[in-house]
Amino acid sequence: MKFFLSFLLLLAITFASQAQSKLTIRGTVKDTTNVPLDYTSVLLLSPKDSALVAYTLTNKAGEYLFKNVDRQPLLIKATYMGYLPVQKELVLPETDVLEVEEIYLEPILQELYEVVVKAAKAPLMMRGDTLEYDASKFKVPPGATLEELLRKLPGMQIDKDGNIIAQGEQVQKVTVDGRRFFGGNTKMATQNLNAESISKLQLYDDKSEQSKLTGVEDGVKEKTLNVELKEEAKKGGFGKVSAAGGTDERWTANASYNKFDKENQFSVIGYGNNVNQSGLSWDDLQEFRGSSAFQWGDTGDFGFDGSGGNYIVFGGGDNEESFEIPFNNLNSGFSNNQAIGVNYNYLKGKKDFSSNYFYSRSDQILESVNSRTNFLQDNTSFTSTDQSIQNNVAGHHRANLRFQNELDSTNTITINAKGRLSTLSTSLLSHQELISNSIVQSQLDRNNQSDKWSGAFQGTAIYRHKFKKNGRNFAASISDTWSKADQDGIQKAVAEMMDSTDPNTYFQSLDQVIQALNGSNVIKSSLLYVEPIKNIFFWETFYNFSQSTSETNRQVYDVEQSDIRELNPELSRFFDNKITYNRFGTSFRYANKGSNLSVGLAASDYQLNGQFSVIEGSEILGTVDKNYLNFTPNVSYWKTMKGNKRINASYAMGVTPPSIADLQPYKDISNPLYIREGNPDLEPQVSHSFNTGYNMYDPATFINLQFSFNSTFYQNQVVQNQTIDPETYVTTYKAGNVSGGQRYFPYLGFGFPIIKTKVNAYLSANPSYSKSFTLINSIETETNTYSHNFGTNLDLTLLEWLSLYAGGSYRLSKTNYEQNPSQNQDIVNWSVYTNMNIKLPKDFYFDVKFNHNRYKNESFGFDQKVPILNAFVYKLLGKEKKWEVRLSAYDVFKKNQTISQFAGQNYVSTGRIETLSRYFLLGVTYNMRGVEVKNRR
Amino acid sequence: MKSKFLKTIVLILISTGLRAQNIVGEVEYRYKIFYDKIYSSLPHLTEQEKDRILLTWGSPEGYSTRMKLQFWPEKSFYTFGEPYEVRSYSYQVADYFIENNLKDQTYLKYMDQMGKTYIVRDSLNAPKWRVMNEIRDILGHMCMKAVSEDSIRGQKITAWFASDIPVSVGPEEQFGLPGLILAYDINDGMLIVEAEKITFGEPEEIIALPKKMKGREVSGTEYQDLVREFIKTSIESKRAWMWGLRY
Repeated sequence: MKFFLSFLLLLAITFASQAQSKLTIRGTVKDTTNVPLDYTSVLLLSPKDSALVAYTLTNKAGEYLFKNVDRQPLLIKATYMGYLPVQKELVLPETDVLEVEEIYLEPILQELYEVVVKAAKAPLMMRGDTLEYDASKFKVPPGATLEELLRKLPGMQIDKDGNIIAQGEQVQKVTVDGRRFFGGNTKMATQNLNAESISKLQLYDDKSEQSKLTGVEDGVKEKTLNVELKEEAKKGGFGKVSAAGGTDERWTANASYNKFDKENQFSVIGYGNNVNQSGLSWDDLQEFRGSSAFQWGDTGDFGFDGSGGNYIVFGGGDNEESFEIPFNNLNSGFSNNQAIGVNYNYLKGKKDFSSNYFYSRSDQILESVNSRTNFLQDNTSFTSTDQSIQNNVAGHHRANLRFQNELDSTNTITINAKGRLSTLSTSLLSHQELISNSIVQSQLDRNNQSDKWSGAFQGTAIYRHKFKKNGRNFAASISDTWSKADQDGIQKAVAEMMDSTDPNTYFQSLDQVIQALNGSNVIKSSLLYVEPIKNIFFWETFYNFSQSTSETNRQVYDVEQSDIRELNPELSRFFDNKITYNRFGTSFRYANKGSNLSVGLAASDYQLNGQFSVIEGSEILGTVDKNYLNFTPNVSYWKTMKGNKRINASYAMGVTPPSIADLQPYKDISNPLYIREGNPDLEPQVSHSFNTGYNMYDPATFINLQFSFNSTFYQNQVVQNQTIDPETYVTTYKAGNVSGGQRYFPYLGFGFPIIKTKVNAYLSANPSYSKSFTLINSIETETNTYSHNFGTNLDLTLLEWLSLYAGGSYRLSKTNYEQNPSQNQDIVNWSVYTNMNIKLPKDFYFDVKFNHNRYKNESFGFDQKVPILNAFVYKLLGKEKKWEVRLSAYDVFKKNQTISQFAGQNYVSTGRIETLSRYFLLGVTYNMRGVEVKNRR
Repeated sequence: MKSKFLKTIVLILISTGLRAQNIVGEVEYRYKIFYDKIYSSLPHLTEQEKDRILLTWGSPEGYSTRMKLQFWPEKSFYTFGEPYEVRSYSYQVADYFIENNLKDQTYLKYMDQMGKTYIVRDSLNAPKWRVMNEIRDILGHMCMKAVSEDSIRGQKITAWFASDIPVSVGPEEQFGLPGLILAYDINDGMLIVEAEKITFGEPEEIIALPKKMKGREVSGTEYQDLVREFIKTSIESKRAWMWGLRY
């Protein structure tokens, strides 16, 4: 019964609530002078979260009407341009109709609206009685105080005594982030707070201290100004230190620190080790250079290029001639390396300045065995072997400065300055043998020393201008590169002749002193003008100029007795030359909806001048005076299609002038085994490159496909023709032109998930073919090289705590000699790798890296396997994981060595370098931002 | 429920034709995206990697695209505007077109997303807006603040609508407020979309959909499921989903 009753009751309530569930709400909106406001937005909101329930507009009489509103707690809100929005809670009536009392909108203080909302674009916030706005939108000079900021704000005044008057009333107290500032002394606050550190200002009436203390409302209100401070501006620092020591006195240490805020970036980095690392890692290099890590287009070269390619290559390594900071460089042999660098960037508005200095030093010992077999016409061959120990001590100072300023929206200027200063000391001990018919014909022991000092400087300025007409652009650049190198050396050789008495023979005893001073200067300048036609056609015109002057001064002295030196006129040369390059070109482009076609033509002119003598001022031995004029066409097309697909095709003609060294009509016998002879009749090499490609990536299925086919055809290819003396085995190289050389490079890559997000595979194949011609003993020799290259990679990330990467590659390089097929070479290179990362409990990690390389050349019975196993166990320590302790094992099987194999036009060479093998390290790392665990690649 | 109010306001506007100057027009928006901020918010990055991203390719200017909205009391069209800079190359092929029909309460989206072209049709379903007590001026219009959330994309949306332009539309996928949305921002500045120019009156050239629409036809809910799945797998594979999906 009870149950039945309650059921009835429930039913009644349900009916009742349904009956009166829909409300009609109406009312009028007026301004404070009782004039109805039409066209006013009236909103119904839910009071608990301000969710929008319904909205309408008032009619001409300022009336609004909501029908069929669900019965629920409601807020009503009215807003009209230039008025402060008003909101109030509605009291829901028993009936279905709610007549809301008139809403009066108060105009926003004219000054407040104009100054704060309109001019300063500061949002105005209403919190009960409090009006709050964003003070950071008001411009004040740097270092200005709060007082100066307050003077700028509408409705605020500072009287002569420094008191704040807000809306006619004196401000009793100033609080900072809601707390009293220095005992509430208002002047103390206004005169000491920095305006730039303020984010918001709130003005409201607060209860008096008395009533706060007693809890008794005394009706006294204190005008209060609350100042909210900005959160620390983007500012930070991070850094890390790590050091490790181990077996065989192996050690490594590195440290870096970065500090930055919105405008300044500062970093220092340093490392030292004897484990062959002679450069920064890519990540460290990025962090070191900060905002200047990715800086492109600073070369100032405009117009199409002759290779048909247009991409940026990240090389790495440590090149002596380069201005760039070395990275990703692992030395061969045994080396001891140190470096230190400082970087500072300043970025403000349209100004961008970056600078760095980097010093690196490397002391390297290379113990190597090289062997080279040369084939002769009559199916015989001879082999030369070289066992050597070399010690290189190199030090490089490098400095880079870059400044870019967008003067205004149309003009930009970029200035780049780079400098380098290097020292290089080399000492070489070598034992060479010449083997023919399995008999050692001759031996040579060499002992060479050299000290070199070199320096270079490069300055570039680029100016870019955008015209008023959108798409019309002009750019101009100028640069100068200056370099100088000074080398002093001693060459000693002791020959043991076995069966030759010819003074011109391969092996000669020498005792010489060499002095070389080389200098060069290159001036470059380029101009570019682009004219748009109907926004989809562009007419581009460019001009390039460069002039390079260089001077080579090499003096070789024979040491007759301990202190008597005599100039060797055969080997000493003074050489000065000038290459002037002018190119003028134009291209017509079409760019629309992803399609890009460019057709262009350029006229390029090379002027080569040079003369040489034994020493400066002596009789001129020869001159080079050459002029080459060529017209080079260039066509390129690429199209971006929907679904991340892209196709491209291009043709480019490239002209490369012969190097001056190849033109000089004299014999260079500085290496008695390989004599070089110039050819003054050389023509420039012309290449025709055809490139096509297709690639796609589907971000939803993760499938990607890449295909490309590049080919090059040579005309007048500059090759080194060889004449081999059958008696002495001395090879004389003479540059010559030959046509018919070709290269083909297809590439196919396909990546796909086997199990999405868990197992991914990538397969690639890049066979290649090249055909080249040279004259060997005046007979044209054709060499065909087929290379078959296949690779596969598998990524397994099945579990959060385990990732596994495995892959392999196979490369077969077949070199076929058309005239001498019995000497054909098959060089095979197998490689497999696995990387495994395991996350163990308690912040322990275990990584294993295994690489297995196999080098094979059956015709020589050469078969070398190099299995390298590295393993690491490490543990992160501390709550924020800032510490790491790591035990590393490198090359567990003690098999590391550097192997090289190459088959050339009439020779095959192999080389091996003894390289740092098995060692163990125990190390500690501290990283301010927490140690990075890279268990995914 | 809300759609009913939308419909009512459409009817009021059409029937009264009141002060009709500001209920038809065209708005140009600057769609400014900050990939560095978005990228460095990805969950799989370490603190060091986040710092490295902001340090090396942080860009205070962001990356801007001009967008265009045309509005009438009963409908709106939205697509790309004229590019800011005329360049001598072109890689932009993606379509992005949104039509909102307030009278029928339906929408049509024709867009290249997640590597495919989609044609999405469904009935309008406005985001859940909360109206805040804050005003701001945009191009001479007093705008009120409203906030909402997109739980799928993990976005906190702050929009500013002009109550004196009582047309319930806006840029991108934002609409459903008592006035035209003149600006909005995602996650405190990862994306800022803001009106740069408003022209009232019938637009000179009305945005037209491509004559041939090729793509996969899906409903709004099907599309949301695709987006959810896409973001999920991207996060699992530690990839940035915003390269394949408009932020």
